[in-house]
Amino acid sequence: MWRNTGIGFLLLVLLVMVTGCQATQSEFTRTAGDAGAAFAAASTTITYVHQGKITKAYASSAFVNYQSELDGLDQSLPSQQGAPDKPAIKHLLDLYKQAIKAVDNPCLDASCDWRRQVEALNRASETFVKAGGS
Amino acid sequence: MKKWLSIILGIMTATGGFLDVGAFATAGVAGAKFGLGLIWAMLLGTVAIILLLEMAGRFAAVSGKTYMDAIREDFGFKFYLLPLTSELIANSLMLAAEIGGIAIALSLFTGISWHSVFPVAALLVWVLCWRAPFSLIENVPALLGLVTLSFVVAVFVLGGPQPEVLSTLWKPNIKQGELANYLYLSAAILGAIISPYLLYFYSSGAREEKWSEDDLVANRVTSIVGMGFGSLSAIALIFLAAIVLQPLNISASTLGEVGITMAKPFGVIGSLLFAGGLFACCLGAALEVALSVGYNIAQGLGWEWGEDKKPVEAARFNLAMTIFLLVAVAIGLIGIDPLQLALFGSTITALFLPISLVPLLVLMNDRQYLGDKTNRRFTNSAILLVLVIAFVVAAVSLPLEFLSGGG
Repeated sequence: MWRNTGIGFLLLVLLVMVTGCQATQSEFTRTAGDAGAAFAAASTTITYVHQGKITKAYASSAFVNYQSELDGLDQSLPSQQGAPDKPAIKHLLDLYKQAIKAVDNPCLDASCDWRRQVEALNRASETFVKAGGS
Repeated sequence: MKKWLSIILGIMTATGGFLDVGAFATAGVAGAKFGLGLIWAMLLGTVAIILLLEMAGRFAAVSGKTYMDAIREDFGFKFYLLPLTSELIANSLMLAAEIGGIAIALSLFTGISWHSVFPVAALLVWVLCWRAPFSLIENVPALLGLVTLSFVVAVFVLGGPQPEVLSTLWKPNIKQGELANYLYLSAAILGAIISPYLLYFYSSGAREEKWSEDDLVANRVTSIVGMGFGSLSAIALIFLAAIVLQPLNISASTLGEVGITMAKPFGVIGSLLFAGGLFACCLGAALEVALSVGYNIAQGLGWEWGEDKKPVEAARFNLAMTIFLLVAVAIGLIGIDPLQLALFGSTITALFLPISLVPLLVLMNDRQYLGDKTNRRFTNSAILLVLVIAFVVAAVSLPLEFLSGGG
């Protein structure tokens, strides 16, 4: 009885996995969407620190996580399953290069041009989110 | 009078201790990605944990035994190894995530990378497990955790959800290809809220405090009111993420992003309240997870146990806890983000729920242990239904989540 139940359950899981394509996103779509969300979070964090809504320490801590989320994306993105054609990838990577500079060296005080960083991050966020299918 | 004070303290600690890193993570991600579309899972989980906690307390108070004691006694040693193994796997992930949550909170206060603060957080948990009395572990972090009720206030300060957000409550906005992620999060929420470690901790705590049948009313009131109020903070966090993060396309993939929700209504104070709440809740949960594993092993193997005993009087109990803590630290040092680890750990917990909790249902219907205080049919059916839902959703969504590169 237990054997039959086990086989039945395994078959169910296999069936779900085979038909699961409709329920999941491609690797590229998912990565692009996640990157877009991380760029949006980075943009909001810089804006909030300059509006006095969060401390510089809070922002610094948040940026450590954004960096580990976004580092190396330019290497992995082009080869991912479901990636678009080369010109589209090149456009994304150009935006990525601009935005990752802000992520790696965020402007958290008045000595630098934080608005420019926010613009670069917002541009990247919008395009990546769109590529991610949202 | 003393009894009522004890009930009030119980309610406050249950309220403040409701959230853990799993609840923070699942509530933040759920709200940011699906608006209010996963509140049903939070409510279902809350009803289940209220019923289960009341059962665990009733069992300990009436039978004079802890849940794990009874599993070993009634089902035998071989069977006991089954829930123990599932608890060790799920709890090692969750303890690593809880310590990670403490580290993230310290990092949000100081700006130092959470990776650097992680060993400090682990040391703090170990010192408290080793030396702190049970009442301190049970009460202090949970009372500090009451700051999470500020999440509820924040929802009102922000004016509540807009109509388009409110409509996701009954019509979740699941985009193409996101069904697997929706199911994965449903399972994670159920696993995060119906955490079996809470039951082991609660039933062992009832024995540490020598509960009897006189405490049944306090047990019931604490379970219902405390957990009910506690779930308000988690639900409020879903609302905050839906109101603040979703329109900005932020997916709450790190705990720092979840805290931004509190910065919008309250500024710096809000973000610090979030970090403080995260610290208190994760510290409380880390202590409970570590202790529950110590209890499980010691009670199952018949060793001396008790947090109020000197370490030398319950040496093997303390050693088991320390070794388990080291395993969790090793997992945490791999460097996986605590939020992602919490989501995965919570889904694994949901998958193992039947193994952990079906024995409780069997015991709760045994008159030898409970006399006329056994479960009613409705309670049995409700819990069985929730366990089946959690298991099926976790079993279906986990492989799909891995296939799409998540999980």
